[in-house]
Amino acid sequence: MHYGGIYEDEIVGKAYDRRLMGRFIGYLRPYRLLVVLTLLLLPPMAAARLAQPYLLKLAIDNHIVKGQMEGLPLLAGWFLLLILAESIFTYAQVWLLQYVGQKVMFDLRLALFSHVQRMPAAFFDRTPTGSLVTRLTSDVEVLGEMFAAGIITIVGDIMVLVGIIGIMLWMNLKLSLVTFSVLPLLIWVAFTFRRRMREAFRQVRARLANLNAFLAESIGGMAVVQLFNRQAREQNEFTRLNASYRDANLPVISWDAALYALVETLSSVAVGIIVWYGGGEILQGALTFGALVAFIQYIEKFFSPIRDLSAKYSIMQGAMAALERIFNLLDREHGEPLGSTRGNGVSLLPPPLMGGGEGEGDRQVERIEFRDVWFAYSGDDYVLKGFDLTIRRGEVVALVGETGGGKTTVTRLLSRLYEVERGSITFDGTDIRELPLKDLRSRIGVVLQDPYLFTGSIEFNISLGDGRARQRVEEAARIVGADRFIRHLPNGFGEEVRERGVNLSAGERQLISFARAVAFDPEILVLDEATASIDTASERLIQEGLRGLMAGRTSLVVAHRLSTIQDADRIVVIHRGEKMEEGSHQELLAKRGLYYRLYQLQFRD
Amino acid sequence: MRSQRGTYLLGALCLLGTNSCALFIPWLMKLAVEGLQFPHKALHPSSHYALLIIAAALLQGIIRIFSRTTLLHAARRIEFQLREELYAKLLDLDLPFFSRERTGDILSRFSNDLTNVRMLMGFGVLNVINTAIIYLAAISLMIRISPSLTACAVIPFPLMILVVKRLSASMFRRSKRAQEELARLSSHVEENVSAAAVVRAYCREAAQIEAFREVNSRYLESNMGMARLRGWMIPVIAATGAIGTLIVLILGGSRVIAGSLTLGDFVAFNGYLAMLIWPTVVLGWILNLMQRGAASMSRLNHVLEAAATVTEPDTPASVERLRGEIEFRNLAFSYDQQATPLLTGISLTIKPGMKVGIAGPVGSGKSSLVRLIPRLYPVADGQIFIDGIDVNRIPLARLRGAIGFVPQESFLFSRSIGDNIGYGKERAGTGEIVAAARLASFENDVLRFPDGYDTLVGERGVTLSGGQKQRAAIARALLKNPSILILDDPLSAVDARTEEEILGSLAGYYGDRTVIVVSHRLSALRECDLILVLEEGRVVEQGNHAELLAMDGRYAATWHEQQLRAEIEKF
Repeated sequence: MHYGGIYEDEIVGKAYDRRLMGRFIGYLRPYRLLVVLTLLLLPPMAAARLAQPYLLKLAIDNHIVKGQMEGLPLLAGWFLLLILAESIFTYAQVWLLQYVGQKVMFDLRLALFSHVQRMPAAFFDRTPTGSLVTRLTSDVEVLGEMFAAGIITIVGDIMVLVGIIGIMLWMNLKLSLVTFSVLPLLIWVAFTFRRRMREAFRQVRARLANLNAFLAESIGGMAVVQLFNRQAREQNEFTRLNASYRDANLPVISWDAALYALVETLSSVAVGIIVWYGGGEILQGALTFGALVAFIQYIEKFFSPIRDLSAKYSIMQGAMAALERIFNLLDREHGEPLGSTRGNGVSLLPPPLMGGGEGEGDRQVERIEFRDVWFAYSGDDYVLKGFDLTIRRGEVVALVGETGGGKTTVTRLLSRLYEVERGSITFDGTDIRELPLKDLRSRIGVVLQDPYLFTGSIEFNISLGDGRARQRVEEAARIVGADRFIRHLPNGFGEEVRERGVNLSAGERQLISFARAVAFDPEILVLDEATASIDTASERLIQEGLRGLMAGRTSLVVAHRLSTIQDADRIVVIHRGEKMEEGSHQELLAKRGLYYRLYQLQFRD
Repeated sequence: MRSQRGTYLLGALCLLGTNSCALFIPWLMKLAVEGLQFPHKALHPSSHYALLIIAAALLQGIIRIFSRTTLLHAARRIEFQLREELYAKLLDLDLPFFSRERTGDILSRFSNDLTNVRMLMGFGVLNVINTAIIYLAAISLMIRISPSLTACAVIPFPLMILVVKRLSASMFRRSKRAQEELARLSSHVEENVSAAAVVRAYCREAAQIEAFREVNSRYLESNMGMARLRGWMIPVIAATGAIGTLIVLILGGSRVIAGSLTLGDFVAFNGYLAMLIWPTVVLGWILNLMQRGAASMSRLNHVLEAAATVTEPDTPASVERLRGEIEFRNLAFSYDQQATPLLTGISLTIKPGMKVGIAGPVGSGKSSLVRLIPRLYPVADGQIFIDGIDVNRIPLARLRGAIGFVPQESFLFSRSIGDNIGYGKERAGTGEIVAAARLASFENDVLRFPDGYDTLVGERGVTLSGGQKQRAAIARALLKNPSILILDDPLSAVDARTEEEILGSLAGYYGDRTVIVVSHRLSALRECDLILVLEEGRVVEQGNHAELLAMDGRYAATWHEQQLRAEIEKF
């Protein structure tokens, strides 16, 4: 049986990209002093580390071999001082690096989040939630890793390596050159192995993703598995995936073991070479014992950063890919910022509508007009085709039509969750695109078909944390009749709503979303009724809530229930993106046209 | 795990081999230096020792590859085996277990806890053996050079083990906290993205950014806590090694000067001391790994030792084909946690081939009642009988094989539509699948998909509409050719007329099967031989449509309400 797992393809590419890095460095600007300080700490740190073997050489050559005790304690004192210095510098450097790294990650996450807030609703139709979460979490984490083990550390490592090479060359040119003969092999080994391991590791990740997806699905569908007696075959499939994951891991382990062993061996071989060639030099008097010991210590210090160098290379590679994805998101063009208007139509606005921007003391909209509105979610697959509609102040207009006919789209265009493509929507003659977005949206209360609840208290879910709305929470709940069930909850308005409101019934969730709209006291109400069938008791509750919700407001309702169309002042029938019929319930029924059929089809329980 | 014992022994032998080579090298250096210092006394020229060092290095490398692959592969195999056992256990566990445990939690046992156990069995074991060998051998060789010097040189080591252990323990705590904060941060983002329309409609963008800043700050803080600790790790390790060298430098140096130690001894001693540093660091880390591994193992045992409440009968009744007579005898049921029973005092016999409808408000126990028949939840003995046999005595596979069950929430697997429909039958033929789809009024939909029956339905069937998923689930149950067909509100996602049509076309399939239909639309139940009306877990009314109407009770009231609406519709 074919089983297709879904996982994000990783971009494997360059370990250093000047364009990306250049842009990333911009985020370091606020912390540039600290970054400079970190860089300044590198040379003394390397020096303290590199001086230790040399002190050992001095101790051996000047004191131990010569049998001169005097001065050895002083040398030991210097040694101790170097240890302390190295520790302090290392601590300071690591801490500073982490500090700056964490701060930059914080800034980046905030920048990404704020950017996402400015994206228009259409953006979220095309972008999977998971990928946005990944951008803000894993991708930024990878950058953190680059900070902890990446660039600056690599600079430090290179400094140490160059220092070791310099000291060794200075101490004994020929011995150094002979010793370094193992280096080309080492570098070749490190990079070839890493490349193979990366490929093998990609396999591991892909197979793990499949295994986990299968497992998650199995747990979710366990009742079905058991009802259909499929246990044996599910176990077989799981075993296949489990074994394929295990088998992908085995070569990674082998490659890693080989790399580890090779680096270790080469390091010991280098020691052998030093003893072999250095021994001859000592006998000729061209090398001291102290130098020999120091050489061995230097070569050991030389190998440890090299062992990590290839690992750091992969981290950098991952970081570049993450940066690319992060900047791609930040470069996505966003909608207009709140509070500004599109274009330069500000001066054309009739002053009363501009108001204080908060809707206070504004005059109300007398006429909302859709004129020849065209809209497509993608390409030229038009959902609305030349739609016309006029709504007067205080009217309740019900939209009726088959699923996919464009009812919900009309409500979305009104609150500018999506933008009209052709034609216009006007408030008393002013195109809504000329109004500040915030002004427009604070006039309109939107109740979505799926009443989204946040984790937080009921009070928060009604007010959404808005100061003015918070004062109206209880009143709003009373108006829509939600207060009765809320008061029965153990903590009343303070009751925590669990993940997406799983602890509330569908009807209760609806009522909370009604109360939310009322708390914001909008002059215009846009309501997309839920289609899901609800038991009779909840149905009655919701009908009452709806009446409270619409009282005194200009309302545009996508209707799914009988009581709503009966209460509406006017019913508009939308079919395939066009307005087909318009009139009162009785008028339209008398026509025996499309509405009559729709009514038979939809408004039966 | 026991099966890997031989492998571990082999791995330990390899480790002994590779470390012997490694430990040989400083000793060779000692001999070489002594030979260089006093050439006339030397047994061999230093170049011979150098060649031996290179030979030892090569041998060490070759054995090292085997020691690591042997042990780490063994750990992967143990992980594989454990994962198999865990999954087999899950397949055995019943719905009460799955409704008690959160999916995310079970998944984390499969990933994090299993990883911890594997780390312990792989790197943990490897390093424990490695450390033990190096410690024993290096220290005894150092003692051979100078016991008193050895005593002084290893003074900082116990301290270092302690420090590393403490550091990595608090590191673990802090990283756990950081993980929690990260989880909070990502669920904040997820919520914000899912609620994009609400946030925009209510102009809450700025407030959302503020709330995010707070979550973000908390995460920053927890990471800073880790960073402060991480800063300590490297200097502590470096300093311990260096302090050992310092002690050797003063004490060892003065002994070389005094003549009680050779320069070769001094060099070798330094070499052994350096060999001890890494295993010492690892030791501190291993001590934590062991704690974590043990904790994880107990979390795995929680699953492995979980007892299913729905089990195979101890003394199974020998049954061939079940005809489909269902009898409830004073049936009562409640989930463990709930004090109020969901079902009480239900007694009823359903003859084979009867069509039974179940109606009642939300939460009246309709679904619970039908879920008990295939024993999705535990049933007490003597309460449900099929063909006169207590369900608890019918082998589970036989019982469930005889029942076609369409659950309320139609769960589809992310496989092809054909595979989903043929799910209940090994090697279901294309003809059977097409026939089942046709019976469930699903065929026309399938033919419109680009790949027909081979179309992949995506994770949990996201690419299908609610109504399509429900019809796929019905087709899946029909294909089993069950004696008992249970439809638990199977068409809630389609409108009333379509539901009636689909159920109508199914009527031909029913034949002599026992059929139970749960629906909140009474029109869907009208044709049933018997309709039960449930309320608060009890049967409050029963009879056929005409009888129930004549009774003029709850059924009749609901029916009239639904009729009244139909009247308005005709106006």
